[in-house]
Amino acid sequence: MKIKSSQNVAGFTLSEMLVSISLSSIVLAAAITSGVSLQKSFSAVDNYFTTHMQQIRIIDYLNRDVKRGLIVTTSVDLQSVTMSLPNYIIQSSDTEGIANPSLVGTPRTPTISYTSSGWQVNYSPSNSTVVYSISGTSILRTENGVVTTIASSTDQLVPSTTDVELANTEYAKTSVTFSPIFTSNGSVASRTGTSLYATAYLRNKRRG
Amino acid sequence: MRKPIQSSERGNVLLCVLCTILVVSIIGGNVLLNCMTRYNAASSQVRSWKESIDAAETGGDIAYAEVRKKILDPTHAFSGWTYSGGVYSNSPVTYGNDSLATSAKVDLFYYDPNGNPWYRIRTTGTAPVLGLKRVGMDDRMGPNNHGDSLLRKIDFNYDHFVATYGPNGDGLNKALVPVSRPQVTRRVELISAPITPFEAAIKAGGTFYGLGSAAYVDSYRSSTGAYDPNVRLNPNDPRYIDALSGTVEINSAVATIMGNIYGNVYTNGGTVTKNTASITGIIDNNVPFSLTPFRMPDISGWTYVSNPSAVTGNTTINPPAAGSPESPSYYLMTSFVTNGNLTVNAYNNNGTLQETYVAMHVTGDVGSTSGQGASITIANHVHLEVYFDGNFGAKAQNIINNSGFAGNLQFYAISPTDPSVQQTIDLNSGGGSTAGFAAVFYAPSANFTVNGGPDIVGAIVCKNFYANGNVHWHYDRALDNTGDAVDYRLISYVEDTR
Repeated sequence: MKIKSSQNVAGFTLSEMLVSISLSSIVLAAAITSGVSLQKSFSAVDNYFTTHMQQIRIIDYLNRDVKRGLIVTTSVDLQSVTMSLPNYIIQSSDTEGIANPSLVGTPRTPTISYTSSGWQVNYSPSNSTVVYSISGTSILRTENGVVTTIASSTDQLVPSTTDVELANTEYAKTSVTFSPIFTSNGSVASRTGTSLYATAYLRNKRRG
Repeated sequence: MRKPIQSSERGNVLLCVLCTILVVSIIGGNVLLNCMTRYNAASSQVRSWKESIDAAETGGDIAYAEVRKKILDPTHAFSGWTYSGGVYSNSPVTYGNDSLATSAKVDLFYYDPNGNPWYRIRTTGTAPVLGLKRVGMDDRMGPNNHGDSLLRKIDFNYDHFVATYGPNGDGLNKALVPVSRPQVTRRVELISAPITPFEAAIKAGGTFYGLGSAAYVDSYRSSTGAYDPNVRLNPNDPRYIDALSGTVEINSAVATIMGNIYGNVYTNGGTVTKNTASITGIIDNNVPFSLTPFRMPDISGWTYVSNPSAVTGNTTINPPAAGSPESPSYYLMTSFVTNGNLTVNAYNNNGTLQETYVAMHVTGDVGSTSGQGASITIANHVHLEVYFDGNFGAKAQNIINNSGFAGNLQFYAISPTDPSVQQTIDLNSGGGSTAGFAAVFYAPSANFTVNGGPDIVGAIVCKNFYANGNVHWHYDRALDNTGDAVDYRLISYVEDTR
């Protein structure tokens, strides 16, 4: 009996191998390139949204403090905001807290006084000072010397706040921009396109 | 014989497919995970955080409306609220598509020197956090940075505020209170301050005509010295700044102004005619305002004195006690006859005259335009508030306020319940051109007429104003915080950010 050789187990010819390797290389190269591009794109978009969330956070922090502020002032370059807030809660370093430690952490009952500009509500003789500033890639909030990093991004976050004083009211207009890392040219337009705006009014009677 | 295809070759293909699916799934899962983190933070947590302050401020609005009713509609103020331990509180109010909830507590924490109560409003606003129970994005900011957590405090399982600071934030009654679903709660404290009526020299809710061509309205501040007619002409005088606040406010387009106004003039869409050059301040024709009818204030804290009960002829009041701004000696007068002559003395405590607070409600007219009209004399140290239901008629010379401070003699015209009844206040100078008085009038429903040229220290709030003489009107800037509350405004806002 003669054993019949099978064509199915025969190897590829050299030309078949070359063609298949070429095609495979092209497909693999395309896949790798696509993968890298997708990864970069994903990373950029991920970073974009992360920075966008930090924009919102900066705005939320600022608005919360402006609303309860007594005095709000902005620096000449508009990138630093200083505000005075009522000392609502008794701290351990406050006079009342030292005299009676059980009062620490409790809200104050305000006192009322009449000044040349009308009635004033005072929660304590001194107020808290809060400063928003930029430090490198971070946005800092400093309250009575205690620093909190409220945002940090390599996308160059820049808040800009304008303090507007009118006869009977005051408000702060804030815009926060960043330059997305996937834009290589760093153009003004790319930064402007990320702008987030907000306006917050002082709810308290202005003192500054 | 034909050899079958080996199954192991199919297995390799299957493995490749599974690996591909695995890789794609990992990528997809990673994308989904990141998306969900952002969705949770952006859509759910940020929204809930903002909605909760909206709810807290809504609670503040609800409470503020009740505080205003204390003046505008006393019988219905805090109706349906619970009062316990000096604090009004309401049941949580739920509203909106996201079922936001708010509740408020209101307490009277201060009486000012006028006896007007100040109210503190504490509210909480709660918004549910929809979506997955996931923390914020602190992990994206590097170690030791907790911007999200410090800002947006989310209660996933328990109310962190009650557990840490107690329900009132005072460290008492701390308890582990489970929440039915994740939520954000924010708390604000508002201070509601009374608005006193005398913030301008003359305030007319209707038309204005006057004064005489040689009349003038100026101002001073009694707390820095007596009135001096030369100050308004001398910019170098340190009191000059207080001499140009003789402001006239008119809530209509009709404003015929003569004489000199050392202050501002406001109208409601009007054009000021005649001597406009004699106005030292600004003319603003876009200042509308409204005057609500005046009601008799709550007298529950006042000390009723039964005698006298009418002013007939010469009537003298010697109060039995000094009283206080919030608790004056209170007299109910059924009449104040045309020529009635009322004298109010200060309370004498063992030879020392006390600051004495007296309130009087006349249920009819006070004097009339005929004869001498009403005569009223108050001694030094007396603070008299006269409320009257009818009309008022007197000569300027017969209103004698020995202290000279207009805030010590206050007249309040209670608005008629019948809108067809026109209330009037008529003042005639009498006694020569320099005769005058120091007093304030709050009469939002009355037509106010001044005949002749009296010298007046004080302020007037009325409906229509008419004066045809050369009146000299001196507004005392110390009056801007004097008088009964006619409304409330919110002047302080604090958020408890813990």
